[in-house]
Amino acid sequence: MKPKLIIGLLCIVGFTSLLMYNFGNSISTYVNFQQAQDMEGAHVVGTWEDSRDYGFSMEEKQFSFYMKDEEGNVRRVVYPKPKPNNFEQADRLVVIGSMQNGVFYANDMLMKCPSKYNTVDAAEVSGTQTLES
Amino acid sequence: MLGTIGEVLINASFLSVVLAAVAYYRCSSGGGDRWFRRANWLFAAHGFFLLAASGILLHLILTHQFNYYYVFKYTSSDLQLRYLVSAFWGGQEGSFMLWILFSFLMGAGLMKWTRKSYRGPVLFFLALTQVFLMSMVAGIPIGDWTMGASPFRTLAEAMPNAPFIQTNPDFVPSDGQGLNDLLKSPWMMIHPPILFLGFSMMTIPYCFAMAALWKRRYNEWVGPALPWTLGANVALLTAIFLGGYWAYVTLSFGGYWAWDPVENASLVPWLLGTAGIHTMIIQRKSSTSQKASIIFALLAYVAIVYETFLTRSGILSDASVHSFVDLGLYNQLVAFMAVVTFIGLGMFFYRYRDLPSQDRESKILSREFMTFAGAMVLFLLGLVIILGTSSPIIGRLFTVSPTPPEISFYNDWTMPLAIIAAILTVFGQFLFWSRQTAESLADELTWPVAATCVLTLASIMLGNVRDIYYMVYILAGWFALVGNGVIMYRLLRQNSKLIGGALSHTGFALLMLGILASSAYNEHLLDPTMAGFNAAVDQGTAVGADGLPATQKRNFFQLRLNESKVVNDKYRVTYEGYTLRGQTRTGQQEYRIKFEPADGEGRQFYLTPEVYPMLSSSSGANIQWSVDPDVRTGLLSDIYLYVSGSSYVERKNRQAEEQQRRMSQGSGAAGGTGGLAGNMADSQQDTPADTTEADSMQTQTLSLSRGSTVTVGSFEIAFNNYRQVPEGELDLPDSTMIAVRAQLDVTDRATNSTASLQPLFAIYNKDGQSWSYAPPVTIPGTGDVSIQFSNVKPESGEIELTIRGLDETYQEEWVLLVAEEKPLISVVWLGTFVLMAGFSVSIMRHWLREREKS
Repeated sequence: MKPKLIIGLLCIVGFTSLLMYNFGNSISTYVNFQQAQDMEGAHVVGTWEDSRDYGFSMEEKQFSFYMKDEEGNVRRVVYPKPKPNNFEQADRLVVIGSMQNGVFYANDMLMKCPSKYNTVDAAEVSGTQTLES
Repeated sequence: MLGTIGEVLINASFLSVVLAAVAYYRCSSGGGDRWFRRANWLFAAHGFFLLAASGILLHLILTHQFNYYYVFKYTSSDLQLRYLVSAFWGGQEGSFMLWILFSFLMGAGLMKWTRKSYRGPVLFFLALTQVFLMSMVAGIPIGDWTMGASPFRTLAEAMPNAPFIQTNPDFVPSDGQGLNDLLKSPWMMIHPPILFLGFSMMTIPYCFAMAALWKRRYNEWVGPALPWTLGANVALLTAIFLGGYWAYVTLSFGGYWAWDPVENASLVPWLLGTAGIHTMIIQRKSSTSQKASIIFALLAYVAIVYETFLTRSGILSDASVHSFVDLGLYNQLVAFMAVVTFIGLGMFFYRYRDLPSQDRESKILSREFMTFAGAMVLFLLGLVIILGTSSPIIGRLFTVSPTPPEISFYNDWTMPLAIIAAILTVFGQFLFWSRQTAESLADELTWPVAATCVLTLASIMLGNVRDIYYMVYILAGWFALVGNGVIMYRLLRQNSKLIGGALSHTGFALLMLGILASSAYNEHLLDPTMAGFNAAVDQGTAVGADGLPATQKRNFFQLRLNESKVVNDKYRVTYEGYTLRGQTRTGQQEYRIKFEPADGEGRQFYLTPEVYPMLSSSSGANIQWSVDPDVRTGLLSDIYLYVSGSSYVERKNRQAEEQQRRMSQGSGAAGGTGGLAGNMADSQQDTPADTTEADSMQTQTLSLSRGSTVTVGSFEIAFNNYRQVPEGELDLPDSTMIAVRAQLDVTDRATNSTASLQPLFAIYNKDGQSWSYAPPVTIPGTGDVSIQFSNVKPESGEIELTIRGLDETYQEEWVLLVAEEKPLISVVWLGTFVLMAGFSVSIMRHWLREREKS
């Protein structure tokens, strides 16, 4: 084999493995609150526990609420921003951050809202119907 | 009825394009001109049927026939005409139709403008892609499975299990769900058509490359394919720009780019197409790189299909805020992608030995090598972005349920590649126009390098750049700008038609510099308290309310009505109230935020961000708010601002909550959302006024400035304007010196009825003294609540109102603001425009040359 070809192949292999290694590190997996215990930048999926206190505190300048993860663990979540506008509508939440003393500090929060781009579910349409009749 | 005709037309169109593909195949495999004419007629029929079907769909939308699922889902009867038209491509089915329509038009162009040796095969492959696209909207049931999602489905067909359909299959909703409010923007009317124009144009290099492989004519195809590729490139770039600009001015995620899968879906084909343009240009000039040109032409189109799959199959629904949901097209999209890829790569490897190969290796200092290296960098950029976007699929190699990659993944990989690309553009351009040795090149580059160093140093000092990595990046950016600028200047003096390449590369350099400045030096505007808190977080000394160390920064600040705060020692910001007047959307509040230079020198200006309820998804008991930022654009920096919370929104939410509680009380289900009410700044409303006695009238006074709105109890009082009362009006006292009326709009939030009141304030003379006359005006429908225009404050332009008979008190008004200063965003736009201009110049040049040849 020509030396040029070998160098080229080495470059490709090097680039690809570095890229994949980096990619592997930059993604993580969705976890529950227990698994998030010793993680940085943990992604926890869950639902809003709407029977407990929630709200934006003007003194502390943060929004806090309780979230139930997919295993059923409920933890307080603190989010250092005003309450997101469609928070109550979200049927699924993803909080990204870390646990400290049993409180999850979310730096980011994604809300999955049922009606944004998704197909309408039956309940919504029947709502339209009752309004009309 | 019309829907059935539509379905029939779509099926007819589908059938004709299948037959057209067969006919083009016959024509290409020796059938000759007879088959070509037949194929063209079939292809034209396909287009005609499709146009007719589109006309019917548009008609259904414009006449509000909500028994059709598509019309119900994306429109409503109050939608303005332009958005009704744009609803045609607002959903998956319609946007596929638009894509097919554009591809059909491209096909019509190809019939006329393709060289004879290629036209049969080229149109065969185009027809083949049309077959796949048509199958997405065909809606043909095959057993339990339906091929494609027809835009003409009725509600009953689309949602057979919905309870209201089961009770009454012929039910027609009185109104549709409306277009998503975020999409009600002029940018969104033109962005999708331009994007699909780009998609359909990018099909053409694919078809040409396939034709070249089929007919073993590997060289000449780049000539005619090049203008189409450049055209696709400009269309995609324009679409990306429009999408980015729309995101910047209407979405509150803070910028023009967020590495969202849907954004990447248009960027990757652009990068691969641009890589293809580079290799096609060297192929045309020196008959090398045939393999690379073919591969890139294939990959650019495969990328379009792949990203279409990612965004439309529902696979990214967790990762992206705006990917479509699965319409049952998953398998079809996979089949489309597999066929396009396998036919493409299969043909390529089948012909691989036949493909011309280079006799000699290019020297490093040659235009071939440099241009090829540039194409490779663009390819790698595309690869990195595809990898990140594919995380839900490829991430499974690493973990069970993969999250999208961190944004830093994209930034870490694109930055070094951009630096390499910037340096290559200069060497490439210098070598492209004249032969160079290492010495002559070094000689030519002396002055550009010197200028680059000076400019880089100046930028580093002016911008206070500390990061060594950024310094290198800025150096590369300036080098590209100066180097390509020099070439452009020379070309302008010789033959200005040739500047396309140099101009595009200059645009790229500008874009590079603008992106760094606007993203890395983006600054949050904060009041001193917040800034102090964030500084303490950085030092690790901040303590939260729970006594534990606080680690999270806060990037917003609060303003009370008419209170000003100085942010970043730069601006004095005042919240001057909100108005509900002149709304473009029902329930929209426009906030008035005044900015003055903190040192008092210079001009003041206003920003008017908006907050509005999303009509398509809000209900009486639950309001989903959307925010519309306001941007003050400047040459040096933009100020970007949005309201992320306000007392008005809080109140509306609380009312909705109460309503929900009242509604659910009957059924026994407790609403139970008491909230951290105690923490809220304005919790007065939660304590019912139990102290008022029947005989004592509550009186309160409040001041408000023109154009502002206050809330008292359940009333909203908007002070619109003054009106001078002409002399001689009946109810004025004698010897009136001056009389004004305040034009108020008083809205009862409980009934949502508005009354216009014009309380009088007059000053008259009696016994040598001035007296004021201000009779109270009763708010209609309340009986005993009255408003009196009790004073004017000339120094502040405010009026004082006295309100009697209302139990609840005036509430404090406040807003939470997120404000950012983004330097040199104008350079990002400028770079994009220069890129577009550069590519357009190239299109003209290659197109005219092709016309001369044929």
